[in-house]
Amino acid sequence: MDQLLQLVLAGLATGSIYALAAIGFTLVWQTSQTINFAQGEFVMLPAILVLAAVKFLHLPLPAAVLLATGAFLLLFGFGFKKFLVDPMLRHGVLPLAIATMALSILMKEGAKDGFSAEAQQFPSLVPDGAVNLFGATLSLRDIAIFIVAVVAIVLLQLFVTRTRTGRMMQATAQNPDVAKILGIPTEQMILLTFLINAGLAVLASFLISPIYLAKFSNGEVIGTAAFIAAIVGGFNQVRGALLGGFIVGLVDNLAAAYVSSAYRAAVPLALLVLVILFKPEGLLGRKEERTV
Amino acid sequence: MSARDHLARGAPMLRVENLSKHFGGIRAVDDVTFEVNEGEILGIIGPNGCGKSTLFNCILGQLQPTDGRVTLGGEEITGLFPADLNRRGVSRTFQLLQVFPNLTVRENLILAGQEHVGSMMSRLFGPRDAGLGTAAEKMIGFFNLGHLADSKAGGLSYGQQKLLDAAMAFMAGPRLVLLDEPAGGVNLTMLASLKERLRAINREQGATFVVIEHNMDFVMSLCDRVIVMAEGKVLATGTPDEIRADPAVIEAYLGH
Repeated sequence: MDQLLQLVLAGLATGSIYALAAIGFTLVWQTSQTINFAQGEFVMLPAILVLAAVKFLHLPLPAAVLLATGAFLLLFGFGFKKFLVDPMLRHGVLPLAIATMALSILMKEGAKDGFSAEAQQFPSLVPDGAVNLFGATLSLRDIAIFIVAVVAIVLLQLFVTRTRTGRMMQATAQNPDVAKILGIPTEQMILLTFLINAGLAVLASFLISPIYLAKFSNGEVIGTAAFIAAIVGGFNQVRGALLGGFIVGLVDNLAAAYVSSAYRAAVPLALLVLVILFKPEGLLGRKEERTV
Repeated sequence: MSARDHLARGAPMLRVENLSKHFGGIRAVDDVTFEVNEGEILGIIGPNGCGKSTLFNCILGQLQPTDGRVTLGGEEITGLFPADLNRRGVSRTFQLLQVFPNLTVRENLILAGQEHVGSMMSRLFGPRDAGLGTAAEKMIGFFNLGHLADSKAGGLSYGQQKLLDAAMAFMAGPRLVLLDEPAGGVNLTMLASLKERLRAINREQGATFVVIEHNMDFVMSLCDRVIVMAEGKVLATGTPDEIRADPAVIEAYLGH
């Protein structure tokens, strides 16, 4: 029981990080039909940038965090949309998807050659420690990760559903042509979703790197997990991405403990296959409706 | 009848002069000229492929005319983009439904009411209804959508979505409204209510209407004046009674 509770908490903590990346996935999909295969690398890179700023520019940690965040938003929020998505999307969804795959390789190899091939310690935002709850020993760090991620997601959801800007974002995603006719600045709204996606990636990076260490190859695991989370939950729903993130996090952690740690990565994939077979629109997803 | 005569005497609101649109060698719209007076309801009819949709799209800035001029209240609007026209008080309804399916009826109306106007701060922290709550409420009441105000637009029946589409076109207090087959696919009961509501809002807001429609009864009973198009040209213009009696019109519809 004690162990189960710890595993569930650890699962929810990593799951909430997957959810951050999965929500970014669904946001850019909704506003610009972009499937970003570099999403995992988006989560890998910000932590590496922070460490690089400390190492090469000799900045103190808070300044390095600020610089890395700013640079990442500029390059992979604004720049990603402007210089990769916009030019490629004109040729269709598939060329764009392949371009994002190329970007993922570039980011991964760039991090390896430009910084380090070794896993690096990344400072944790909260001290290591444990609390006793209902007789179980729970990691303080897991609790903190869970709370930070969930608060971020709730704030995002409030922004999307409770502000006028959020409503214009929804309108842009649901019917871009009419939104444009009504005078809604659809280009700005789409750019905003890319900035939000980059912001979520930065947050996920800072939360996960203390656990997994900062390493150039982290994106493979995170990207796959986030992709599965988005599909399991329903690709066109933020709520779905959240649920999918938790499910993948839980399944991943429980499988490692109770099935076999060698096969832990296979279990979420099996879940993906089952969802695609029996509920292809995802657990909370809607069937895609398009007017012709 | 006297109200209609009074309205028909208003100054010209929309003037289309020698408008042409060619696609390669095809003259989809060929030297079309007409005027619509302030407050008037003008119908445009004609067989499929006669150019009425192309004409509409040229007026609405979705196609650039090959030749000719369009003026609104004396001001030239030829070739302006749809969003610019919207800002100048030209709105439209859609032949194929174009609502925002996952927003509520009320949210759809607020979006249609030019809510994007205003500073970034007011868009983030301002009141959610953007000061358009009262207007939206009024429109909901006017089109009998009260019981659906907080339902997602995508869940409405086709006829209800048509009413919402029409209501959205009137949210910004337009001067000119172009209605693209408002009666298409609407059942008879809903049709009577739609027609009655359109006439009422025309009287109340004093907006000018241009209507494309295939349903003859609907056009003839809604419109003050009707233009018949055939092969890109204006074939006849007149009151519904004059049009019904015009031999050229009968021939165009029955074929040669």
